[in-house]
Amino acid sequence: MDLVIEDLYVQYGSSVMAVQGASLVVRDGELVALIGQNGAGKSTLMKAVMGWVSPHAGSIAIGGTSVRDRAFSHLDRGVAFVPEDRGIFSSLTVGENLRLGAVRRRDKKAVAEDIERELERFPVLRRYWGRGASLLSGGEQQQLAIARAMMLNPRLLLLDEPTLGLAPIIVDLIFDVIEQLRAEGVTILLVEQNAVRSIEVADRTYVVQAPGRIIGSGTAAELGASAAVVDYLGFEPTDLGRAAS
Amino acid sequence: MIVDYIVSALGLGALYALLTIGVALLFGVLGLMNFAYGEIILAAAFALYFFRDAPWLFAVAMAVVFAVAVALLSERLAFHPLRGADPVTLMIASFAVSLALQSVARMTVLPRAQGVPPQDFLAQRVDILGARVSVRDLVTLVLCGLVLVAVAYLMGRTSLGVQLRAAAENFQMAESLGVKGNRVIASAFVIAGVLAAVGAVVLVTRQGAVSAQMGLQPMLIGVIGAVLGGMSSLRGAALGGFILGVGTATLEALLPSDLIAFRDAFLFTALIGVLVVRPQGLLSGSKVRVS
Repeated sequence: MDLVIEDLYVQYGSSVMAVQGASLVVRDGELVALIGQNGAGKSTLMKAVMGWVSPHAGSIAIGGTSVRDRAFSHLDRGVAFVPEDRGIFSSLTVGENLRLGAVRRRDKKAVAEDIERELERFPVLRRYWGRGASLLSGGEQQQLAIARAMMLNPRLLLLDEPTLGLAPIIVDLIFDVIEQLRAEGVTILLVEQNAVRSIEVADRTYVVQAPGRIIGSGTAAELGASAAVVDYLGFEPTDLGRAAS
Repeated sequence: MIVDYIVSALGLGALYALLTIGVALLFGVLGLMNFAYGEIILAAAFALYFFRDAPWLFAVAMAVVFAVAVALLSERLAFHPLRGADPVTLMIASFAVSLALQSVARMTVLPRAQGVPPQDFLAQRVDILGARVSVRDLVTLVLCGLVLVAVAYLMGRTSLGVQLRAAAENFQMAESLGVKGNRVIASAFVIAGVLAAVGAVVLVTRQGAVSAQMGLQPMLIGVIGAVLGGMSSLRGAALGGFILGVGTATLEALLPSDLIAFRDAFLFTALIGVLVVRPQGLLSGSKVRVS
């Protein structure tokens, strides 16, 4: 399912411009990364897609319908979001958190199968099923957040900094899962600070610079051809990326 | 004497716990410090007065109906249009609802306090372990205890309870997962209404009268108990209310008669001491949604 963002401006208060004229396209089945430094406006853009902040100008459409349309429902469109803070409910158990991702579903058998699928994907969740979610480590919480989002059976998955502050071994695990989800046909918009790994796994990458301005986009080779992008990233990304591997 | 005290203290603790849960639930789910909670109690108390000659259980049932109706109406007419407003706006709106309902009650059905004679059986005493225990205190303990168990079951073991806890912690995230915000908020108001009704039944039974201002003190108890226990945790709020109730009963039992009038001064001094050490409350959980 396509996500199309055109000339988006998001402003906080009367003066702070967090996103400035950003345009971005994620085609059905693609894994697109949005990379940039802390405070570049990546998370704000993600929240705008979710309707959590209102754009000042510009448009966001998912599956051809504007997210500002009164009848638009992210859930009905199959959009799932894993926010930067993971959005785990600390007062609930791991199992309750996971089941909450299926709260609207009535097909009990399919829900049970999907829970089993996620427990296979993230075995640590099976081990801690009845444990309070607040007792999980950051990496375990991230796995729970992604598993819970997958309980929505999303067609478009928005991942906001899923590896932020995690140990390298967990970062590897999360990126492996992201590639696995892409292979399963889930369209993914991945916001990350880990530029190297993101460019490696993504079909295309957008580079955003504060305040929320996209300075380049494309495959690893295309990014490498842009002096502004190479200068901003501080490395040559040409040899990274799916095409290169 | 000691049995009498234990029953009385546990009963008052359970009653105050109910009142604080009602306040904390709405604060958690909606970011609303609902000062109109007292008028929900008033609505239930009025039903008890209005149906004072009907069978007691029928009057109690009507008290629940009145309280839930006022709770839902206040949500629909006053708070729903302010969804997403900042907490101060919501708080001022709740003051307005409180004053409006209280004024309407004073102008129409309760211009002055009205007596509601307690049921005969509530005035009796029974022997427990050699002590003469008030049936009224026993009924308070059993009724509030049962409702607390029911609330604990609802919040801990049902899908609605899980959704309420999730919404109280992070409303936006819960909605993005499919929790229906309007349904959860309405459910919170219904539960708060039921708790207020049970509180009203106990208060009217103890006071033997109904007045337009009668909701003020239980509302304050709810707010103070919730602050003491921790606004971000329903369990904490219940604990805060329980401690407040037990503390009140204990001071009543221990203070010399000439100091009883200063009971609340002692109690709230202790409360301030607790909040100096733990400003976040006794059982502060995760962050509180405030908008």
